Amino acid sequence: MPCGEYFTSYVSRMGLVRWRTERVAFLLALPIPFALPALLDTGTLSVITQIYIFIVAVLGLNVILGYAGEIVLAQGAFMAIGAYSSARVITTLGPGLLPAVFVGGLVTAVAAVLFGLPSWRVKGFYIAISTLALQFITEWFINAREFSGIHGGPQTTLPSEIGLVGGAVPISSIQDTYYLALVAAALFALVSLNISRTGIGRRFRAVKENDLSSAVLGIDVFRTKLLAYAVGGFMVGVAGGLFGFYIGTLNVGQFGVSLTLEHYLMLLLGGVGRVWGAIIGVSTVVFLQDELRTIIQEVAQGATALEPLFFGAVIIVYLALEPKGIIAGLGQLKEYLRSWPYAY
Amino acid sequence: MSDVVDVATGLEFFITGLGKGSVYALIAVGFALIYKVTGVLNFAQGWFAALFGLLPVVLSTSLVVSFEISPLVAVAITVFAGLLLGLVLEFGIFRFFIGEPVLSVIVVTLALVASIEGIVQYLVGPGYRAYPEAVLPDWTVPLALGVELQGPFALAIVFAVATVAALMAFFRYTVMGSILRAAASDQQAAMVLGVSIERTIVVAWAISLTITSIGGVLFAMSTSGWSFAPYTNIGILVFAAVVLGGIDSIPGAFIGAITIGVIEELGTGYLDPVVAPGFGTVLPMLFLLVIILVLPYGLFGTERIERL
Repeated sequence: MPCGEYFTSYVSRMGLVRWRTERVAFLLALPIPFALPALLDTGTLSVITQIYIFIVAVLGLNVILGYAGEIVLAQGAFMAIGAYSSARVITTLGPGLLPAVFVGGLVTAVAAVLFGLPSWRVKGFYIAISTLALQFITEWFINAREFSGIHGGPQTTLPSEIGLVGGAVPISSIQDTYYLALVAAALFALVSLNISRTGIGRRFRAVKENDLSSAVLGIDVFRTKLLAYAVGGFMVGVAGGLFGFYIGTLNVGQFGVSLTLEHYLMLLLGGVGRVWGAIIGVSTVVFLQDELRTIIQEVAQGATALEPLFFGAVIIVYLALEPKGIIAGLGQLKEYLRSWPYAY
Repeated sequence: MSDVVDVATGLEFFITGLGKGSVYALIAVGFALIYKVTGVLNFAQGWFAALFGLLPVVLSTSLVVSFEISPLVAVAITVFAGLLLGLVLEFGIFRFFIGEPVLSVIVVTLALVASIEGIVQYLVGPGYRAYPEAVLPDWTVPLALGVELQGPFALAIVFAVATVAALMAFFRYTVMGSILRAAASDQQAAMVLGVSIERTIVVAWAISLTITSIGGVLFAMSTSGWSFAPYTNIGILVFAAVVLGGIDSIPGAFIGAITIGVIEELGTGYLDPVVAPGFGTVLPMLFLLVIILVLPYGLFGTERIERL
């Protein structure tokens, strides 16, 4: 413990911003995201917007996988359900972006609970198998024109300018989308941090560590898991809705298994079960991806298909070497620097 | 008259389903074998099959590199490549994941899925690639009611039955087989008795991917050419098959795969026009969900009892 600062109450011990350095850093860092649109070109701004949106999605995955420990391989399907249902709300009812994204989140939460029903009987890799099957079923469902009455067709184009609520506060430029995504990411980061500090989060963790013993302690395991599916699904769905607006034209191909893998890579790289891990992981991977695309384009035209190969190799090597995540590595570094130049 | 036609169509669907099921069986047995011996849940099995299905095309035509080997030799090389890839995967990747959490292993196999997709998209793209004529069997097996069994499917049935029989005999009567069984049932006890777990895992991967390569090639033959999308469906249908059979049971995987193949064909034949195209492929996946809910340990699987 660093000398000079002590916790005198549990409230301050549990606080989100606990140390004086953290407080100072927080205040100093606060203006940065708001200043970025003035400083950066639209290309970089667009990449950062995507980072914010993916942060929301990966935080949702983090609730399901990191907190409750359910290996759900339907991340792409959740994003698709969120995107298509909010697009459907926008194109048919037109209540504005926020209500549409909210409805998209709710629909995804319901779908996620349905996807989680097998956890009544099974766990572990059976969940992985059943959710992967559901991923394929969802893709087929959205691809089938016969069901266009429900999902609005496999290819949906969203208007480039939508009011935030109703027709008020029109969102059209990348700057507007940037701020919206920033608010969403900050909001859901706060929600995730608070979930992990409350009883719900502790129940999730108990179920993750050992479902049998948490059942013995009186936790309703199935209900807890479904709650995790609902909360996580809502977040992924909201991210899907925002992502749909961000990319403009929805296409099922964008929501495949590779998206699931990408989000898993982000979460695992950052650190499973840690909000900051998710944020760092998403930022690292998206920036890397962007750089990689530029490099590949320069080296060989049409070699973008090799991108998944690169990420596949990265994740395999990474899991073999340091499976705890960047955030754990940073913690070790911090410990080392704190006692430097002494060993301990 | 129409009754006879209906029975004939039904029989044709059924027979094609049996054939497809046998192809799936080869891939599913490979999957079950790996899971039984090493505990690795190989999500990439269908994608490996795709890779092997593509290999004869690559080797015998001047698609990527101009080898132009005689097609039959190319098929033989493919089967050998299966053996080789099994060894490479074990020594290169899965050796480092012995005793790692389930999540890591699942993500690694998913990463393999993405890598294979990337390689294939880069080299040949998703399009259809016709197989060389020389390897396609031009004969069919005539059955009752004028229904004919396609050559590749007949081969698949023969290979699948032979493989399962051979594997069961291997597990029951050979020393290596008993070693594999011992390692599967209790790794620590087997190690104490002097079994090299690493060697058993190598053997399991090699056998599994050899069988998978046969399955991959036969599947491509049955559609007289290779294209990527059907294999991704196989990747998930194989799960339906092994879960129905009980994941760690080899005869179970065989029976499950046959069932899934028949369900898929009958679904494609009768329900596709009613619901939407492609529903036949989705039907086994829905069936998989039902099995997981109703019968999680499948028909022949080992039931795990948990204690605190």
